[in-house]
Amino acid sequence: MVDRAGTLVRDAFEQPTSNVETKSSNTDLVTETDKAVEELLIRGLSKEFPDHKFIGEESVSGGQKVELTDAPTWIIDPIDGTTNFVHRIPLIGICVGLAIKKQLRAGIVYNPITRELFSAQKGKGAFKNGFPIHVSKTEACSNAVVVTQIGSIRTPEMMNSFVQSFNSVIGDKQAHAHRAFGSAAINMVYVAQGSIDAYVEYGLHCWDIAAAAMILKEAGKPFNLMGRTVLCAGTPSLAKELSSALTHVEMETEGDAIQED
Amino acid sequence: MANPTEDHFFKVALRMVDRAGTLVRDAFEQPTSNVETKSSNTDLVTETDKAVEELLIRGLSKEFPDHKFIGEESVSGGQKVELTDAPTWIIDPIDGTTNFVHRIPLIGICVGLAIKKQLRAGIVYNPITRELFSAQKGKGAFKNGFPIHVSKTEELNKAVICTSLGIHNLKTLGEPWLDNALANQKKTVLAGVRGHRAFGSAAINMVYVAQGSIDAYVEYGLHCWDIAAAAMILKEAGKPFNLMGRTVLCAGTPSLAKELSSALTHVEMETEGDAIQED
Repeated sequence: MVDRAGTLVRDAFEQPTSNVETKSSNTDLVTETDKAVEELLIRGLSKEFPDHKFIGEESVSGGQKVELTDAPTWIIDPIDGTTNFVHRIPLIGICVGLAIKKQLRAGIVYNPITRELFSAQKGKGAFKNGFPIHVSKTEACSNAVVVTQIGSIRTPEMMNSFVQSFNSVIGDKQAHAHRAFGSAAINMVYVAQGSIDAYVEYGLHCWDIAAAAMILKEAGKPFNLMGRTVLCAGTPSLAKELSSALTHVEMETEGDAIQED
Repeated sequence: MANPTEDHFFKVALRMVDRAGTLVRDAFEQPTSNVETKSSNTDLVTETDKAVEELLIRGLSKEFPDHKFIGEESVSGGQKVELTDAPTWIIDPIDGTTNFVHRIPLIGICVGLAIKKQLRAGIVYNPITRELFSAQKGKGAFKNGFPIHVSKTEELNKAVICTSLGIHNLKTLGEPWLDNALANQKKTVLAGVRGHRAFGSAAINMVYVAQGSIDAYVEYGLHCWDIAAAAMILKEAGKPFNLMGRTVLCAGTPSLAKELSSALTHVEMETEGDAIQED
């Protein structure tokens, strides 16, 4: 299904422009492609598995409740990085995560423009295009490439956190570099493959995170899912050092938490 | 059924194949290769073949010291082809060496794994196009992480088939070999086949059947290292594969396999070593 969704996204990406609507704010974008992809995925998966459940970004925008039960549940972000997609920046991810009995069992993040398929099943490792991938071994901030990211939420608290954290990580800690790729899933799978040493972002949703979290766990990183927030790194040392350098943002959880192990 | 040990074998092999791929890609980007001949003027080997086989064997032995190996270049160097119950890696470092030498981007780094004389995993990697074909027993076949399946074509007159003239057999079998090969081509054309393709690599031909691009493939005179990895992928892509001792005949459907088989004049070949057990 992800392969087919990829074709749809690729075709749209190759058009000169997308029709864009805004959701909760001027910076929270959605296109007809997002909706078409989510529909394709839900329709295809329900046809094969009529008793499975779904948590999809666009369905939730349309009013559906975020509800995680024991039933096999597909957690879907049809295009993570919609702003990138609209501006034709080729860093987007079709994200499909699977939870059963409230535990993550599988995750797929597919960038159909670069044709990079990141995937993982619980206990079987993480893969990109069929080859195994692993997180980096970087322990110190001063040797790290760190991703911090501002999303569509632009409250004073969020802006303040971003600026202070940036100053701390880049100025005080003298990290090797700062990067921001514009898609939570892409940021996370880049940690999983060892390109990025650490990533933090506040204000995400379960559909942004679920698929990539599975891949990250299987790539070797004990992932810390803190309710609408991501902080992950190749090593625990780096995660701790980064965490202490940041100005954190507290966020409300959404729905039942996914159980960690 | 989960088998963490075999999963581990498979992941290590993938990593080694990835490294071998870099070596082959670098060599392919050079203007020419230094070429030697083996059994005949058309049986080529390069220093890249040897370097890749050494890299794979060294890497896998380091991780798994009690595993065994059957590698094309080791066998050329005198090693016996011997299949025991021990985990055995069956390696063709570059399938399609002639393609490689001429810089035709259709080559496969082939690594097959047999345990207790049964095929358990296969990897065929084209490092130039970066197409990774892989399979583990019972888990399906994949290309670059996506599942692949054979075609559903049942009749020869709707099929595109792969054949090879197998000219490296001319030296030992002479002109009658060529007469037979050409006669077989003629017969399939008269039977209405849509087309013949010859990609120059047995492994590539076989994974193309596995992904449904090619409907059937037949070739006589191959070796176990040409076939093993790709055979695992083909089986898992949905085709009950027929390993007939140094020969391949495979198709997307049993109907097509039978129709093709009846159109051909078969060539009997001596088997090599203990047979891989079919199931």
